[in-house]
Formats: sequence, structure tokens, C-alpha cells
Amino acid sequence: MNLLLAGLNHKTAPLPLRERLAVLEPQKTLHQLRSEGFAEGVIIATCNRFELYALAPRNSGRGAAELSVFLERQAGAPFGPAAYRMENGDAVRHLFEVASGLDSLVVGETDILGQVKDSYFVAKDAGMTGKLSNVLFQRALFVGKRVRTETAISVGPTSVASLAVDLASRVFGNLADCSALILGAGAMAQTLSRTLRSRSAKEIVISNRSWDRAREIAAECAGSAVPWEEFPRALAAADIVIASTASPTPIVNSETVLRAMKGRMGRSLFFIDISMPRNVDESVHGLDHVYLYRMEDLEKIVAESLKSRDHAVRHAGEIVREKADEFSRWFESVRDGREISLTHSDHGDS
Amino acid sequence: MELALAKAAFAFYAAAMALAFLYLFYKDDKWSLWMLRLMGVGVLLQSASFGFRMHSFWLIPENRYFLPINSFFGALSYLSLAVAAVFYFVEGRHRLGILGAFVLPWPVIGLGSALIWADPKTSGLVPALQSYWINIHPVVLMTSYAAFGNAFGVGLALLVQEHQIKSRKPSELCYRLPSIEELDDLNYHIIAAAWPVLTVGIIMGGVWAYNAWGRFWGWDPKETWALITALIYAGYLHMRYVGRLRGKKAIYVSMVGFASVVFTFLGVNFLSGLHAYLSGGA
Repeated sequence: MNLLLAGLNHKTAPLPLRERLAVLEPQKTLHQLRSEGFAEGVIIATCNRFELYALAPRNSGRGAAELSVFLERQAGAPFGPAAYRMENGDAVRHLFEVASGLDSLVVGETDILGQVKDSYFVAKDAGMTGKLSNVLFQRALFVGKRVRTETAISVGPTSVASLAVDLASRVFGNLADCSALILGAGAMAQTLSRTLRSRSAKEIVISNRSWDRAREIAAECAGSAVPWEEFPRALAAADIVIASTASPTPIVNSETVLRAMKGRMGRSLFFIDISMPRNVDESVHGLDHVYLYRMEDLEKIVAESLKSRDHAVRHAGEIVREKADEFSRWFESVRDGREISLTHSDHGDS
Repeated sequence: MELALAKAAFAFYAAAMALAFLYLFYKDDKWSLWMLRLMGVGVLLQSASFGFRMHSFWLIPENRYFLPINSFFGALSYLSLAVAAVFYFVEGRHRLGILGAFVLPWPVIGLGSALIWADPKTSGLVPALQSYWINIHPVVLMTSYAAFGNAFGVGLALLVQEHQIKSRKPSELCYRLPSIEELDDLNYHIIAAAWPVLTVGIIMGGVWAYNAWGRFWGWDPKETWALITALIYAGYLHMRYVGRLRGKKAIYVSMVGFASVVFTFLGVNFLSGLHAYLSGGA
């Protein structure tokens, strides 16, 4: 048996080509695959990648190139250099890298591990896995988990929006009890309101100098709008305030906030100022229970977190290489009919 | 046997505390899991040790049916057992492993100082203490002290978290500690649960005093300081409840309350006449 891989991802292929593959029905494609002389097969399909792993008898004359041709036929378009085609050891290492988040758009993200797992179960339910692919995918999940516990690859924020929301949750805990007040209508403010919405913030209120625009954005993110003159009063009810207006002078100063704090019974208030020039006066950060993070504070933290990820990526790469080599040795031994044990090097794993 | 078990329990608490500190700096849930396990073993060992103490206490005829908490050793060891058990309960339920580093130093210091400075010998109870109240009044009070010790740890964690976020340079620790508002609530809930226990304990002391000496209250330093402690925490609860005081300042008030707990338990013994029962100190 040979392990084959044909696939494309966000780095190698343009979106239209990936979309052609995204619409394929995995189960149907796998059955098709079997009728064409391949043995086991698993499809990993996410927004950023489409990969087909398959096994073919050694003397069947079917290699990664043939697998790619099969996929091209399904997609109805040639891949050319947009696809990668790998066999055996290279394919194993690639799968382990994918499961570890090393090949992801945001390195170290954790969603991919669940996606690999789901992909494997879809193939298993379709009866398209056997001994080799079962062990291969279980191993990939194990390596992906291990990389995340042993390295700092998934630690720390990766974007300003996710960091701002993470910090807010370090102040308030569960964001489901939190209301957010958005001042202004910049693109970043909208990204943040979407992030807040996805973390199930209780309420999103928009205030903007243009009342129509405020209502428009409120409709987009299922929030409500308050007239611009009333935002100081809305401060008392908000927990997270995102400021992104084009005002040339600060619109929130410590007097405004002190007045709002009177009605808050000591509950914290978290400001995120992403405007330039600043909308929120620096003196606000000096008040009790009030925290102000400016764009440059957030950017500095993200930059540092990404820098420390670089180190983790190297460490993760070593784990992946070691585990991939170990699997390949086992794979060879099974092919040669003198199977060695795969678990012997896992002492201390749990 | 009692001492050997207490020393073993101390070793387990100390190891659990070390793991709690490791967990503070390295993200690996196995530290927190092992911390909880070691704590569990420590609590069992110390309970067994306390069992042996009760047994040797029992052998002195006039002590029968009374708890061996009339000496520094007995009281400190009961107190550290209670702190450890309360923490084990809170941690087991909330899985906030990170708080171990803030709470576990207390049972370690408590049991450690009992082992180093206090005399573990059991002796006969003086007649004034031969009352069923000895099983209730001090035990109830020390249980509230144990809860206040846990609240103090939670308060420390809140100050650390507040500082992390105010600094604008949050470290890894910031993402692992519970949020400011959660810590604030937890601190409040523990104190709100412990305060009635403290108050009931003090009133029981009054009832015992009335039975023994015919008067409810004598302004003995221990009584006075216990009352001061209760008033400080009552002030905290009032201000917190009315909503005027939260966060850092509230924590400072609760910490003054805990300082008063420590002084009531230890310091007052050098001043108190009536409550100078605790024997075998340094």
C-alpha cells in the first residue's frame, strides 16, 4: 500500500478553485474514489483547504498524480501548480502539520483539530477507512493534541479584535452578561461588534453622529441604536465601550465617565479606543474600576504574542517530524509484513 | 503515629502548594489535577492524624467526648485541616486551579508552624473547658476563619488580576486567572457565607459564658477582637450589598478583616486572660 495525498489550501490555490471543491459531497466523492481502484480514503474539507488522503496498492500504478487527476475530474477544473501531491512519509508529515495547526492561516488555531476529527469520522461512517488510515488519523489527532499541550502554539491572542474581546472577558468573565456600546461606525468597530456577537455578548448598542448610519449598523449586528446626544447616558448601562469616531478631539473624558460610574454600583467599565486621533482621554484609565486600552496597546500585545509563537512553531515542528518519522517506520513495517509496535515510544503520554 | 501522619500531611500540602505555583506559570492542567490529588491525600492523612489525636485525648478520662482543640497544636492543626478541606471543596466544584497558589500557603503555614513551634502533647482539660460547648463554639469559629482564609486568597488573586489589566501589559497569568468580576463575586459569596457562622460562633461563646460564669459578655480581648472582626466583615458586606464598594477597595476592607482574624486567633492570646486556654505555644 502507498499513502497518497492530493490537496490545495489557502496558500497554494485561489478562492474560486477552492470553492469548486468545497461543494463536493465528501461521502459521494469517497465512494467514487473506491470505484476507481483506491482503497481507503479520507477528505479534509474546511474553508481554507481541501485534501484527499487515499491508499492504493503498490503495484496498482496509482500515485499522488493519479489521485490529483481524480480530484480535478470531480472539480471540473485542472489544478496545475495550485495543488500539492505527496506520498507516504511526506503525506504523513503534512497531515500531522495540519492537525497541529502549523499549516493554518492563523498558526496554532484549534478549530482544525476538530475538523480533522470530523473528517475522519465521515470517512469511517462511509466505510472508507481501514487499519492504516484508522491508525494514521488517530495518530494525527494525538499529535495535534500533544503539540498544543506541550508547546505554546495556541497560547495568546492573534488579532486585535480577539485580544480586545479576551481582555474584556478577563474583566467581566462571561460576556453573555455584558452590554457593549459602540461609538462611531468605522470598519474596525464593526469587526469588533461581530466578534462580540460571536462570543454572545448580551446587547450591542450603537451610537453615531449620523442617526441613519447608526441604525444601519445596528440592524447588521442585531443591536440597537441610541442618538448621539444620549451616549453619555448609555455609558452607565454599558460594560464594554468601543470608540472609533473620526472626532478630532476626545469625546469621552474623566468627568463623563465619573458621572456614568455613579450609576454603575462599582461595576467595571472597559474602554477600547481604536480611533486616531484618540476619542477617550487618557485620564480615564486612572479612575477606579475603569480600564482603557488604546489601539497601540493592543497591537503591542499581539505583536509580542506572535513573536513568542515563532518559538513554539519550531518546537511543534520538531514534535511533528519525530512523530511522523515514527509513524512512517511503522507504516513501512506493516507493508513489509513484519509489523513493529507503534506505541513503544509513547511512554509518559496520557 | 499522630505526628508522623501530620508530618506526611504537611509534606503533601507543601507539594500541592509547589504544584499550585508551577501551575501559576506553566499552562498544563496536569499540575492542577495533581495538586488536587495531593491535597486530597493530605486532607485524608491529616484527618487520620486528628483521629489519633482524638484517641489519645480520649484516654485522659476527663477529656472524654471533647475535641482536642484546647492547645495551640490542636487548634492550628484543626484550622489548617479546615482551610485545606474548604479549598478542596471549592476547587473540586469550581476547578479554578489557579487559586491554589493563593490559598494553599495557609494550611502549609498553619500546620508547619504547629509542627515546628507548638507542643503536640495532649493534656487534661481544665474544668472550665469540660463542656459540650468546646465541641461547638471554637470549632464553629475556626471553620469561619478557614473560609475567611480562602476569601483572602481569592482577594489576593483579584489584586493580581486588577494589576495585570491596569498595567496594559497582561502576561499569560491574566488569561488564566478568573475575571475581576468573578473573583469579586466569589470573595463576596465566601464572606457572606462565613460571616453568619462567625456571628453564631461568637453568640455561642456568649451563651457558654453565661452558663459558666453567669454573664454573657466580658470585654475580654479575645471577645473584643472577635467582635471587631465581625464588625469589619459586616461593614464589608453592607458596603458591597448596598453597591458602593467593589473591586480593589472592597478587597482591602476584607483583607483588614482577615488581618483581624489572624490577630484574634494568635495575637490576642498574649493579651487575653479568660481565653488563655490555648496551651503549648512557643
